[in-house]
Amino acid sequence: MSRSESHAMDMTLRRIFGIETEYGISVTDADRDPDPGTVAMIMFRPIVAASRSTNTYTPNGSRLYVDVGSHPEYATAEARRPIDALRLDAAGESTMRSLAMQAQDLLREQYGPRTRIHVYKNNQDSAGHSFGCHENYLVRRDISLSLLGEQLIPFLVTRQLYTGAGTWSADGQFQLSQRADFLDDAISASTTRSRPMINTRDEPHADSDMYRRLHVILGDSNRSQIATWMKLTCTHLVLCILEYCTHHCLDTGLAGMALADPGKAIKTVSHDPHGTAVLDMADGSRKCALEIQNTYLRVADRFVRDHGDDIALNIADAPECLELWGKALDAVHFSDITELATWVDWAAKYRFVQSMQLRHPNLSVARIRQFDLDYHDVANGHIFDSLVSHAQMRTMLTESDVERARTTPPSDTRAALRGAFVTAANNAPGCTWSADWTHVSASVPGAKSREAEMLDPFDSQPSDDYKKVMELVSGAAD
Amino acid sequence: MPQEHKPVQQTNVQGAQTQQEQSLAVEQGQVNPAAQYADVAEGLDSVLDDIESVLENNAEDYVNHFVQKGGE
Repeated sequence: MSRSESHAMDMTLRRIFGIETEYGISVTDADRDPDPGTVAMIMFRPIVAASRSTNTYTPNGSRLYVDVGSHPEYATAEARRPIDALRLDAAGESTMRSLAMQAQDLLREQYGPRTRIHVYKNNQDSAGHSFGCHENYLVRRDISLSLLGEQLIPFLVTRQLYTGAGTWSADGQFQLSQRADFLDDAISASTTRSRPMINTRDEPHADSDMYRRLHVILGDSNRSQIATWMKLTCTHLVLCILEYCTHHCLDTGLAGMALADPGKAIKTVSHDPHGTAVLDMADGSRKCALEIQNTYLRVADRFVRDHGDDIALNIADAPECLELWGKALDAVHFSDITELATWVDWAAKYRFVQSMQLRHPNLSVARIRQFDLDYHDVANGHIFDSLVSHAQMRTMLTESDVERARTTPPSDTRAALRGAFVTAANNAPGCTWSADWTHVSASVPGAKSREAEMLDPFDSQPSDDYKKVMELVSGAAD
Repeated sequence: MPQEHKPVQQTNVQGAQTQQEQSLAVEQGQVNPAAQYADVAEGLDSVLDDIESVLENNAEDYVNHFVQKGGE
């Protein structure tokens, strides 16, 4: 893999990123308790009023809907860069907060003036039900599932050292990942009956001869912007290595990483904040999470040095990612929770609880679990916002970046077309419209309805069909 | 290609241990995670003040209210 082999743009390294986040709902201090289904419907009233459905697309090209179990869900529009996916994900948080605060006003009319709504960007409720934060990566079809199982899964299982959101169970035990206890197989086709780490439901929303959609469902929901960005960027780098080496018939340097039992390993890693617990490898050797992560970091570092000119790596801000990745592993190695807590969610929460325990040595488990939930509450939570405002949690986006992202799709993917369409259709009186990831259609009274297909997620150029749809919609707005 | 943005904003955080102290902690053996991470929780006073002023009284009640079917 020499520099001369990789020219300005290697098509094997192009990527589309997406994040689907399910939110949890709770209401406290009400005179009587509404169920989550009722609360979700009240939250989505403005959406239903505008689009006659609880399933819609937003002006930034993302999808907003109510999912199984009455979870409000937000799926980011197609992004070529992790930073754009982060912007859209943050816009999703902001959207959920707005919907929640409007709903709270309505709830107070029926359920009493003290009623408070909580919308948790986390992955489990107090009774042990789990819900997900799914990452989507568009990958080349020539990358095999067995390669993903042997050389991607070990990375995903151990990255929780810096991407885990952390949680305390009912008996007060702490672990790094909110998801680890709920995962079974490494790779499978289902998400609700058994929970695999990678889901093979293959809906590329793109040219299916060329691409598959890699659906990673083992990750935690992150409040930390840097953690969200890091989980996408680190995973992207590992996928780049696997895809490039597969495509060019090269050795990845990661053959020794396969785990004997990923389902057992992910739980072991989750209960070990030091990354030193021993894991059984498929080749009979034993390695700890830190060793495995350090190997991935070393191989990724070499790969970026050899392919630094490649546009797909540049737009993922690989050098910044590698620097933070190395610092995080050092911080885990040296048990430096203060360094980790500046952007790693589990460490920020852990450090907060430790500090509170210094003030209040008899902190109850219930109180600690309340702190845990509060950290994830995007509607009425205090801890995360306080950490940010007192410069204890680093950020990557300003508030105005996030507000702008609510109405601005990425300009260099299909999302630009969908976003512009949604904005125009919302402003066209009498227009009936629908959209999904690969289509838009609209009809207005007295005119022929129009639709357009958008099969290439990398393509932001309007087709003739798309232009006709937009002419129809714009005509209705005049 | 120029970087369009600087992804990470640095902020100062107090209370970091020196690397030497941390190395010592590591050398003395990997023990209970809580014990090793316990004494570095400083610098959060203003955050703790914020949270104590808004804490809801019944933690148990708050936590138990959050029960929702699984999704996915």
